[in-house]
Amino acid sequence: MASKGIDRRDEDEVCPVCKSSRYLNPNMRFLINPECYHKMCESCVDRIFSSGPSNCPVAGCRKTLRKNRFRAQTFEDIGVEREVDIRRRVMQILNRREEEFDTKRNYDDFLEQREEIIANLVSRTNEAKTNAQLAKYATENEQSIRANLALEEQEATSFQARMTLEQEEAQRRRQIARQEYENERRELQAGREDMLSRLASGTTADANAIARESSKVHLKKSSARRSEEERIRLKQAALRGSETKRGTPLSNSEIAGAADSGLIKGLKKIKTPELEKPYDPFMGLVPETRDYFTLQESYPSTFLERQRQNVQGSAGGYDLREYYSRTMLEAFAGLGVFVEEEVSKREAEKSSKPTATEGAAIAAASE
Amino acid sequence: MIEDDIYRTSSQFRVWSYTEQSLQSLRATTNVIASDRVRTALRRAREAQQSATPSATGTPQPGSDVESKASDEKPIDCLTPEEELVFVRYYCESLLELGDEYKPPLPTTVRATAIQYLRRFYLTNSPMTYHPKKIMATALFVATKTDNYYMSLRSFAEAIPGNPSPDEVIAPEFLLMQGLRFTFDVRHPFRGLEGGVMELSAIAQGQGQPTPLLPHQTAESLKQGILSIAPPPTPSSSISDRIGRAHNATRELLKTAAQMTDVYFLYTPSQIWLSALLLSDRPLAEYYLETKLGGPITSTPSNPDPSNPLNEIRTKLFKVLSDCAALLQAYTPLSADASQIKNLKRIAKKHYKCQNPEGANMSQKRDSAPSRAVSSAAATDSGQVTSESETERLAKKRKLEEQKQNGPKDMFGGELVPDRTKGQ
Repeated sequence: MASKGIDRRDEDEVCPVCKSSRYLNPNMRFLINPECYHKMCESCVDRIFSSGPSNCPVAGCRKTLRKNRFRAQTFEDIGVEREVDIRRRVMQILNRREEEFDTKRNYDDFLEQREEIIANLVSRTNEAKTNAQLAKYATENEQSIRANLALEEQEATSFQARMTLEQEEAQRRRQIARQEYENERRELQAGREDMLSRLASGTTADANAIARESSKVHLKKSSARRSEEERIRLKQAALRGSETKRGTPLSNSEIAGAADSGLIKGLKKIKTPELEKPYDPFMGLVPETRDYFTLQESYPSTFLERQRQNVQGSAGGYDLREYYSRTMLEAFAGLGVFVEEEVSKREAEKSSKPTATEGAAIAAASE
Repeated sequence: MIEDDIYRTSSQFRVWSYTEQSLQSLRATTNVIASDRVRTALRRAREAQQSATPSATGTPQPGSDVESKASDEKPIDCLTPEEELVFVRYYCESLLELGDEYKPPLPTTVRATAIQYLRRFYLTNSPMTYHPKKIMATALFVATKTDNYYMSLRSFAEAIPGNPSPDEVIAPEFLLMQGLRFTFDVRHPFRGLEGGVMELSAIAQGQGQPTPLLPHQTAESLKQGILSIAPPPTPSSSISDRIGRAHNATRELLKTAAQMTDVYFLYTPSQIWLSALLLSDRPLAEYYLETKLGGPITSTPSNPDPSNPLNEIRTKLFKVLSDCAALLQAYTPLSADASQIKNLKRIAKKHYKCQNPEGANMSQKRDSAPSRAVSSAAATDSGQVTSESETERLAKKRKLEEQKQNGPKDMFGGELVPDRTKGQ
């Protein structure tokens, strides 16, 4: 896929528009336009489309092409090129993710539907209708499409980052291993030299002992090194694990606002979290509601009028409306409370479950 | 109705509202307990006088003694609950006059609060145990504090007849508070009356607002309504004059009759001032209630529509208001009636004989008060007060303390075995 363009040095390739061949112009590049996928050389594109959009010069093709849409061909087969383009376009629009569906089955249905659409477009069956469907879906779900796109991008970058990290890690590991091997070799050599020198300087009696000792030292060292290696590997594995874990929540983060269009079935209902209402200390009760009266802005009263005009009082924060409110409330507080009835009910309730104090009172009275 | 729910949260409704029956039975119980106590206390005092031996002051066994000795002694004549009530009422009335002694005179609400304190206190305490004369001054002093009418204790005490010392005035303070179950909030009908008059004059001037539940009312229709009601008992020049007159008459009723009768215990402040208004200007009060309740208040439901809460209130309110009005109307001041004065004198004489000698010592109570505060606060919460039974306990305690003080006279200390076990 990553192979750069189609630069086959095909000697007898000919531009279908100007009929100039590569033989005459070795630097010739062929371009195509995804409107009609007709191949033409770069100079033809320059010549025909520099002055603005124009019709395709290929006979029988009436597509209007623009210069900026021309690009180099990726695949040799124009049909493959076209299918890849269509696929890319459709995938970009129908970019639902698996976690957006209720069930796996729904997701599979969606994938199948997508493939069908792509096949339709490729084989040009029902092309207009399918395109209209796609366009409608795109406008309806603009937001979720964009969100999913962003997610994909994010995933791709995080994947990229992880890959580079892993590569670096591997490189470092290799280097360490190499260094270790080097060290070991050097040590081994030094040990052997040491033993030789000792053997040379020592007597025959302790030659055996020296040989045994040196081999033991070597063994010990290698086992120590092995355990060290083990430790490093474990540590790295743990590191990697935590890294992947950190990577997942990014990709799983929920996307809000996907409207359930008619095109795709089985999408999860997205619950937009309800906006937190402002705290209401009265739990729905409007503090100044009253049932028996409507509080007025002012009441006629000669003796209150003086107070109302009193600038000193109001400057100090005294508001006569407070007085009105309290006075009117007290005028009617308890108008509908029927003590006889309610108290007898209260006492009946109390007597059904005698309290401790009442018991004490009886005891005190009978003393 | 929101206003009603607000009232239901008040301590006046929660603690100090009674049915007529429960009020009566509470007074009767208080009287019975207090009389028993008076009898035993007086007998004990007599015994103490008769026998010279100090051991007689030891704790007696009340149960057995009462039965054996009750027959051979002249029975002590105690006050009946009704007599107690009249006796307390006399002090309530003098409390009203006491307010005028000050310069400037005490506000009506302070006096009214003090009267209500006194009435509440004597629901669970008997005047035979605590003399109202002493409690009265304390109640007034507490009322100046709770009604935010500051006055120094010394200047307060100076105006009290008999010139008690400041210490004497506040001596029963804690006792009083305990009797009040530490609820100092008294909902008076005075302010409610002001509100009603305020709105009535607004209606008369064509500034009335419709009641929330009856939105069809308009300022104009309300004004037409108030102008077309039946003429008052005494002719008046204008509607504002009429309202002013009704206002004054109602206020006068609330100041006296409402304070001296049981209406505070039986009805809500709103009902009290409306029934007082009914007494002073019936057509006006009826019209006002009609604007509030959307129909005339009658004993029989006019259209039995249970969905409308106003209908139910209307029929119930008719009975309550007429009962309350009757109670207010029945009141006559003690001083206005010669037979009542005579009766009062008789009660006073009787009271002098049946006072509980142990209830008089109140300054000691003040010292021991804080330790008992917790237990009595608990009693407040559970809603049952047994102040009279408290007295007994205190008497025993005091006796023990006296013995402790007498102790050092004994060279080798007091008895090791307490009296109670020794007696058995």
